[in-house]
Amino acid sequence: MRNAEFSASVCQQTRIRLKWPEKLLKCLALMSMVTVEHLHKVFGRFTAVKDATFSIEKGEIVGFLGPNGAGKTTTMKMLTGYLPPTAGTASIAGYDIIDQPLEARRHLGYMPENVPLYDDMRVMQYLEYRAMLKGICGKAVRQQVGWVIDRCGLEPKRKNLISTLSKGYRQRVGLADALLGDPDLLILDEPTNGLDPNQIRQIRELVRSLAEEHTVILSTHILSEVEMICNKVIIIDQGQIKANDTPGNLTRNLRAAGRVSIEFKGDLDTVVRELEAFEPVKKVIVEAPLPGGWHHVIVRAEPGTDTREKAAAIIASHQFPMRHIYRHIPSLEDVFVEMTRKD
Amino acid sequence: MADETKNTITRTRSWLYTLRTIFAREFKSFLCTPFGWVILACAIAMQGFWLQAALQTMSKATGESVMFYMLDNVNFWFFFIFIFPLITMRSLAEEESHGTLEGLLTAPVTTTQIVLGKYLAALLFYVILWLPMLLYPAMSDLANLYTNIRYGVMPEGRINYTPADWFGSISILFISGTFFISLGIFCSSLTRSQIIAGIVCTCAIIIYYFMGRVPELWGEFPAAPAFHYMSISEQIRAFSRGLIDTRPVVLYLTLSMLMLGLTKRIVDYRRWHR
Repeated sequence: MRNAEFSASVCQQTRIRLKWPEKLLKCLALMSMVTVEHLHKVFGRFTAVKDATFSIEKGEIVGFLGPNGAGKTTTMKMLTGYLPPTAGTASIAGYDIIDQPLEARRHLGYMPENVPLYDDMRVMQYLEYRAMLKGICGKAVRQQVGWVIDRCGLEPKRKNLISTLSKGYRQRVGLADALLGDPDLLILDEPTNGLDPNQIRQIRELVRSLAEEHTVILSTHILSEVEMICNKVIIIDQGQIKANDTPGNLTRNLRAAGRVSIEFKGDLDTVVRELEAFEPVKKVIVEAPLPGGWHHVIVRAEPGTDTREKAAAIIASHQFPMRHIYRHIPSLEDVFVEMTRKD
Repeated sequence: MADETKNTITRTRSWLYTLRTIFAREFKSFLCTPFGWVILACAIAMQGFWLQAALQTMSKATGESVMFYMLDNVNFWFFFIFIFPLITMRSLAEEESHGTLEGLLTAPVTTTQIVLGKYLAALLFYVILWLPMLLYPAMSDLANLYTNIRYGVMPEGRINYTPADWFGSISILFISGTFFISLGIFCSSLTRSQIIAGIVCTCAIIIYYFMGRVPELWGEFPAAPAFHYMSISEQIRAFSRGLIDTRPVVLYLTLSMLMLGLTKRIVDYRRWHR
């Protein structure tokens, strides 16, 4: 929306009537669920988030990754409108988080890290209170609470005091709270933190089932989780956005992507020379020889290429025996390590 | 399933609905926890104690009403100063330390609604503390009736009260309460520790009380009227004699609005300048 206003003011100043770009910008702003522009957050001397710009389309599940203290939680808190940004702006469902905070929050369900709850309330009571805070009224309160209790598997604990709940159930109450009122955007800060594998699986299934009608942003340390459920990954390190793409694209463009490891017997120098002559190969690294006269080499090539066929052919042309050829499949972990490495 | 629920959610944007929701939770948290009941029990015990003390004073010096002796009493101040920090020290400090303020402020709720909801809940709880006082005229009548039957009609044995000093006492307790509660809420917004909030609030009320007694120590000097104007002990003495004055009403209502406005600012400030 800001964009549209800005371009409108530019149009007025320069007295050029640009109707189409203006409309187009407005459409774009409405289409994307979250727009973040040059978001900046400074705590005293410490810069937590530097110039973050990204947008999230409707229906995406976005994984927010980064080492501890990278600025994930700060960015999420800024999106919810709880922490005001030092500079920059963001909008949720077309509503600016600073100019129209209440309207933006009506489209938002937020589950904070560590899930703060009122310990002196019962689960049902708490969820009813939260539903009413979100402006749900009349019979819809009971109905919504029943629905989220059902969806988050809280049925056996609905009458319990929150102070008696285990970590897993507290986490579910937090998630149920975020789901109340069926918000368009869910922001979940480490939803599976501290859960056992079964609970993690349940929450994962829940998030996946939510993706049909919601946009979800979730932060986590568990990379396999992101690989499984997210269709977009944002990697943030030291307050800066390092990557913003689909997991597939990220792994494809990785340095480690084209790496092939081979074990063979025979003349090492000939093979290395011939392999290095081959076009996409960048470097052949000779590893320590293995027992029994086996050589172990690692072929580094351009990302997205497959050198296995050619390498096998070279070795076969000399009739050297080969017992192992393997192309490294890069995981999100490789991407994460490469993006956030300190060296 | 999801589509069905989406269609049937009835929503309101009413400002008062949200305020009422926060108010109701706050008030319930007083009555659904031991905390509120402990305060109530202490308050009623203290009230009984100083009613007894007032009757003792009355037996020596008649002339004023029972309300005057009750409120112009050391026991009363002992109770009155500590009741406000007890009621209010939790409100915002606890939200801050438990992190639940984050949940509140990411829901479509304004800071004003939170502060006002908490304030009104604490004020209503404070009013409940004084409900036994509504019984005092009836109790006095009963006691007088008993004396008349037992000892015959004798004016010096009567427990005096008039509707004016009864009404005056209740109104000054309520009106000064509006200010002290808002002061307590303000202190509670300053820190995340309930104990510090309680100590700061107690100190503030004690300082305010002694400001009103400055003319007694220094005599009448040019600025003395200002101290008389804010003297809570003088106001209580006047009101419990049935002398209802509008100046304290204006003073305490404006002061409590100031405090609530400051509280709103502080809550926002602490969020914005973390």
